[in-house]
Amino acid sequence: MTLKTTVIGAYPKIGEGLDGQELRRALHRHDRGEIGDADLDKVFDEVTRATIGEIEAAGVETINDGQIRWDDLLAPFARSWSGVEAGPLERFYDNNTYYRQPVITGPISTEGRSFVRDFTFARGVAKARLKAAVPGPLTFATLTARDDHYRSLEERVLAVADAIGKEIAGLSAAGAHLIDIEDPAVVAAPRHIELAREAYRRLAGRGHALALVTYFLPPDAVLESLASFPVGVVGIDVRSRDTTAFERLDAFRTQYLLLGVVDARNTRLETAEEVAGYAERALKLVPEERLVLATTTSLEYLPRDVARAKLAALVGGARLVTGEKVIA
Amino acid sequence: MTDNLLLTTTVGSFGKPEYLTKARAQAARGKLGATELEELERRATAEWIRRQEEIGLDVLVDGEMYRGDMVAYFAERLEGFKIGGLVRSYGNRYYHKPVIAGKVARPTPMTVSWFEYAQSLTSKPVKGMLTGPYTLLDWSYNEAYPTRRDAVLALAEIVRDEARDLERAGARYIQIDEPAIHARPEEIEIAIEAMGIVTAGLSAKTISHICYGDFAAIYPQVLDLPVDQLDLAMANYGYRWLELFDRNPFTKELAIGIVDVHAHETETVDVAAEGIRKGLRYVRPEKLWPHPDCGLKTRTVEECVEKCVAVVEATKVVRKELAKVPA
Repeated sequence: MTLKTTVIGAYPKIGEGLDGQELRRALHRHDRGEIGDADLDKVFDEVTRATIGEIEAAGVETINDGQIRWDDLLAPFARSWSGVEAGPLERFYDNNTYYRQPVITGPISTEGRSFVRDFTFARGVAKARLKAAVPGPLTFATLTARDDHYRSLEERVLAVADAIGKEIAGLSAAGAHLIDIEDPAVVAAPRHIELAREAYRRLAGRGHALALVTYFLPPDAVLESLASFPVGVVGIDVRSRDTTAFERLDAFRTQYLLLGVVDARNTRLETAEEVAGYAERALKLVPEERLVLATTTSLEYLPRDVARAKLAALVGGARLVTGEKVIA
Repeated sequence: MTDNLLLTTTVGSFGKPEYLTKARAQAARGKLGATELEELERRATAEWIRRQEEIGLDVLVDGEMYRGDMVAYFAERLEGFKIGGLVRSYGNRYYHKPVIAGKVARPTPMTVSWFEYAQSLTSKPVKGMLTGPYTLLDWSYNEAYPTRRDAVLALAEIVRDEARDLERAGARYIQIDEPAIHARPEEIEIAIEAMGIVTAGLSAKTISHICYGDFAAIYPQVLDLPVDQLDLAMANYGYRWLELFDRNPFTKELAIGIVDVHAHETETVDVAAEGIRKGLRYVRPEKLWPHPDCGLKTRTVEECVEKCVAVVEATKVVRKELAKVPA
């Protein structure tokens, strides 16, 4: 048995050479009115298809669609839901990457089918197991720039959770068996951990697996709390800062642990041995069948050629743990 | 006398004229030589010096016509850096994120000749413009140094050498920007230590620009940053950072952003003047410097001029009010 592997979040949308930049060109041409929505959609689909192929070719076990259509984690949802708009730009946590802050103008509502079309397309392309993703309620609510409707953070978090719940139901009905809930605020704002738990209760128990995925900061302040969240999988980043997590992983008694071991925010390449080393440390406290190796966060923080090399390091490391021969 | 009250300035960059944008694109494709490009950069710099004088700004900048990005410009000129692949910053905007691949070193001064050229065109003071060591590290990949602190301190020595060269060349104001300083609030001590290396022994007035991010997370510790003046985006944040000064008084000179650089529309003089009045509740007029929130490089030349005119006109309004109040 080989250790399981997966990716998180967005994949680089363009590559280095001119032929890797068709999406960048298409977006420019779309801005200038030279191509229409249908032409742009075709390019989005083609780049999504190529991205899925690239992640699969690396040998990753559970893949995603690379979020090629997403500008950032929140804006696609802010634009799709009623009662919310994608507002002013702000820096996304400790990255030199920006996102549009949600602005809430009224009660949030959605049919929950915002991403069903994209998931269905990706499902038609993917050969490996495909997961979907949504933003976490705490992240969406705490990164909101302005809220003209809800009277407190509590109300806002729970309203966002209900909207996310609808999206999860929609994705689940479209065949998504595993859905990542990307929620870095859970580790960035640990004081709200109980509020987050209440939000996740609203998402639980709908007949699909949910992964609460954190990143950018270590889970140290909330690790034991996360182990009792009503989700099947918990993702943690053990590379972005010093962490005591490796000594405390036995807290996860039933959940799968998605361990972010390949640093998706630095170009320095891990060797397969280094990746395997992190896995071995985790295996002291977590059984092999519940451990999944992953990138720390979206590979979109790296140029595409480095992202590809990181995937190779991830898969190479996972194979090394179970003694499989690494083919260069 | 209100002449040295509320001195006006800008954060550093201005929009590039169309002929220069085109020339840079041609140069990037190898279709225009370095000498020809520099000729156009000098022309655009001279135009911006003249415009700033006409607008009536007090302390000028060279406008950074020769820079694309505030980190890449230095990375391209330092040993130890590699220019990395393309990374998206937002929407359809990409940049080449530098990689620190080896020990960093500065073969030659990087900004001094541009400073000298710009200063030769005007009798008003021109600021020397540098990117701070913490931001140089935070906006690059670090493959070479064992810790972030090691890399920041190595970069601090380089920025210090450049700052000293600028001072020797006559710079009376040296700005060392740290827009990434609040990226990891727990690392503020590293940024402060590094800035101490940069500014030790300088007699020029030192300034640091900080923008985009959670300023509250580093206040009041940031008052220990060893510079004379902090240069803050305020208009874009509805002046909410000023409230922090209620509990912990602001102790430095404050360059206060009174027009939002990311909006195409320019604030009215009244709105901008109200921003200055807000600042005056916390900082005395001889220590308060009105300016736009941030660098203006994303705006057109015309929009840049409008924003700067708003700053200068608003300042005139408030200076008049101050002149009426007996000291």
